Amino acid sequence: MTHRAVNQLSFTVEKGEFLAVMGPSGSGKTTLLNLISTIDSLTSGEILIDGINPHLLDKNELALFRRRQLGFVFQDFNLLQMLTVEENLVLPLTLDYVPIDEMARRVLVIAKRLGLTSILHKKPNEISGGEAQRTAIGRALIHQPALILADEPTGNLDSKSSRDVLEILSNAANDSETTIIMVTHDPIAASYCDRVLFIKDGEFFNEIYGDERRQTFYQRILNVLSLLGGSVNDLSATRLP
Amino acid sequence: MTFRQLAYHNVVRNRRNYAAFFLASVVSVMVFFVYSMFIFHPAFEEEGLRLLAIRGMLIAEVVLYIFTLFFLFYSMSAFLQARSKEFGVLMHLGMTKKQLNKLIFFEMLILGTVSTVTGITFGFAFSKFFFMIGREIMELDDLPLYVSWEPFLLTIAAFASLFIIISFVSVGFIRTKRVVDLLQGFWKVEEETKSSTALSIMGVVFLVIAYTFAANVSDRTVYQMVFIVPPLATFGTYLFFTHTLHSLLRLYKRKKNVYWEKTRLVSLAEASVKLKDSAQMFFIVTIVSTVAFLTVGTLASFMSYTGDFRESNPLGLVYISFDGNEQEAEHIERLTSQLENEQLSYDLVELTVKRQTSEATGNDVDILSLSEFNRLAAALDFEPAELQEGEGMFVPFSLDSLKELESTSVDTALFESGVSLSIRSTYPHVVFPMHTLNINTIVVSDADYEAIDEPLLGYGPGKSDFSYYAFDVLNWTETVNIGDRLTETVSEAVENADFSSVNFFFENPGDDYRWFKSSFALLLFIGVMVAAVFLLAAGSFIYFKLYTGLERDRKQYKLLIRLGMTDKELGKIINRQLIPQFFLPWGLALLHSAFAFISLQVVWEEFAELSILSEMAIVLGGFTVAQILYFFLIRWRYVAHLQAP
Repeated sequence: MTHRAVNQLSFTVEKGEFLAVMGPSGSGKTTLLNLISTIDSLTSGEILIDGINPHLLDKNELALFRRRQLGFVFQDFNLLQMLTVEENLVLPLTLDYVPIDEMARRVLVIAKRLGLTSILHKKPNEISGGEAQRTAIGRALIHQPALILADEPTGNLDSKSSRDVLEILSNAANDSETTIIMVTHDPIAASYCDRVLFIKDGEFFNEIYGDERRQTFYQRILNVLSLLGGSVNDLSATRLP
Repeated sequence: MTFRQLAYHNVVRNRRNYAAFFLASVVSVMVFFVYSMFIFHPAFEEEGLRLLAIRGMLIAEVVLYIFTLFFLFYSMSAFLQARSKEFGVLMHLGMTKKQLNKLIFFEMLILGTVSTVTGITFGFAFSKFFFMIGREIMELDDLPLYVSWEPFLLTIAAFASLFIIISFVSVGFIRTKRVVDLLQGFWKVEEETKSSTALSIMGVVFLVIAYTFAANVSDRTVYQMVFIVPPLATFGTYLFFTHTLHSLLRLYKRKKNVYWEKTRLVSLAEASVKLKDSAQMFFIVTIVSTVAFLTVGTLASFMSYTGDFRESNPLGLVYISFDGNEQEAEHIERLTSQLENEQLSYDLVELTVKRQTSEATGNDVDILSLSEFNRLAAALDFEPAELQEGEGMFVPFSLDSLKELESTSVDTALFESGVSLSIRSTYPHVVFPMHTLNINTIVVSDADYEAIDEPLLGYGPGKSDFSYYAFDVLNWTETVNIGDRLTETVSEAVENADFSSVNFFFENPGDDYRWFKSSFALLLFIGVMVAAVFLLAAGSFIYFKLYTGLERDRKQYKLLIRLGMTDKELGKIINRQLIPQFFLPWGLALLHSAFAFISLQVVWEEFAELSILSEMAIVLGGFTVAQILYFFLIRWRYVAHLQAP
């Protein structure tokens, strides 16, 4: 690959911080996320998570690292169709051979927190998009990872479901000190975050910190986006929360 | 949910995808088990038909094993490929390679155990039924059901090893891929693949050449063609599906007035995508179906041989006594008394055969007298021959030679006795079984017959003549045990190629017939079961392709209905998609088989003059009906799944 999807980019995320990464299509957001999630490899540079550089680990250690330290939320949920909501939730624990009663305990806690208790025994194709994404978030939270990586988590959701999902993520960052990095197109989604990092053509463009009022933060995000230029079409139509 | 439960859920909840694959595996195990039950049967001595059965079934078991290995290998690679997105998600979540291997191993273990147990259960349940068929075919008095550990052990060992091999190998299919690629999923690789015009044309050319060769094969070139035509046809088929078909579709699409017309747009666009990623599957289905058709067709063509048997062997029993045979009277006495004991009515005609050298060709000739020959003809209800002095008549030794001799005439003299003969006619029936008389056999008038007074060159006076006892038996198929001791002596001499102590020859066409018929029926019985497994496997490939795409298809149909397509139009689209998937590979296999049978006919004509056309028509017609039924079954399930909410 001669093209550099991500180049000369350096940033630090604090523990318990909720960071949004924004940028036009093709700016390298998803590549960045894949690099942090260790499923894509770096040509140069380094990534440290809790002081560990996962790219130096061998494949086996890497899988263990992902299993214990990372949680993932995807735009199209990536739930396993053959498993029920409950089984999808405990999947990371299954992979880690956690005892059954421990699994059952954690499922109850997570399901209650995310409002999934009534649908635990349904299959992914029987539930709504919002429920599916909450299940995916539950799966990302259940093993209490150090870092959650979310790729357009609200991309396929209506505004009500988006709001639910974002509040859950925001609460998770605040309450359990889980660090969250979220890639998004949506300025409303970004406005739930503590900080927004803008990248363009794989390089750092700007960053802004949130404040007490989400409404003004949202306005500031829009301003930066308009500076990014040419990409406004990519952004979702302005709908105020 | 424990790790094992995960594997279990994957299999059990994927059962719709696994159904056809599972069915083919179960039937394969079942057939294998039934063969084993025969092979280990305590009543099976290594003798006669039972030896043939044991050998045939052993070979069939090896074929089944190898085929099932290949079938599972291909199916599993396709299954795992179709699930690559799922594996991508799991690995993303932190599943190690080792765990992935373990997962697949568990899944195969479940599948293998369930198919083996089910197959053996059904096999055992139906073995009484198969024993009944086997008993009928082999004409055994009794073939009781028995219980022994051997068939179970062999079947379990065979399929356990098979599934273990596959689970290890199939893990390798996903080993090399990166998680990022896996996440892309299976159906994403759908862009128009390029098809080369040159290769497209080559595919057609190969097939045409192969067909031309097959259609024009002669008995002289047939052995070379065996090595040329099949590879040519196989390669041609491959190119046809991977290139030619796409080029044809592309040409068709270019005509926008056709392409954009109503439902055709959707069905063609869909068809071309489906054909593309199914090219390899189509190729395999075609080849497997061809092999199945040919197996059953060839074995069925043996059956027509038995159909023509009576025409070539109108005599019930034949006993020939050569010079120096002291047991002649004793043997004949025993044969007649045996026939009487069995209450079989018969006519016995004794012919004295003289031997001379023909001056025209220099060959030995067997000579019969007109009166003796006509006595036999009368016994057989054939018309009598008429000859004047100086005339001779050919006696055909086979149906094949009959045609040839009819257009032959020879003027010759018998070298030893100086009798001149003009041979202008041929007797219109085969009377004597092949090999019991010289291929140059003629009938002459009684006067000429009397004039032959010298023995064949190199023989003493009277030493070259021999007696031919021809028995006409009404119920000729019931002579099975007549002259069994003579049969034994003769076949021993044939086996040792030593006739020095045997001055006679005995042939029992009724017994031969039974043997031919039973052994061909036995081979057909074995072959049909293997072919059934082949065809089920071929069907399961198609089924699998259909069902892995089901979710995607469903979305598409929902969209089309929303866009205002009627149910009738939808039905049309479904037909246009399913029909090529079912009948394209199958049609090509049929075409392949048809040409192969044309070649086979040539081979058969060389051995025995007979036509396999009717057998072929039955076999191919039978497969057509089965395929159409399978099509409707699958279409019904497919439409039901599509319309499910």
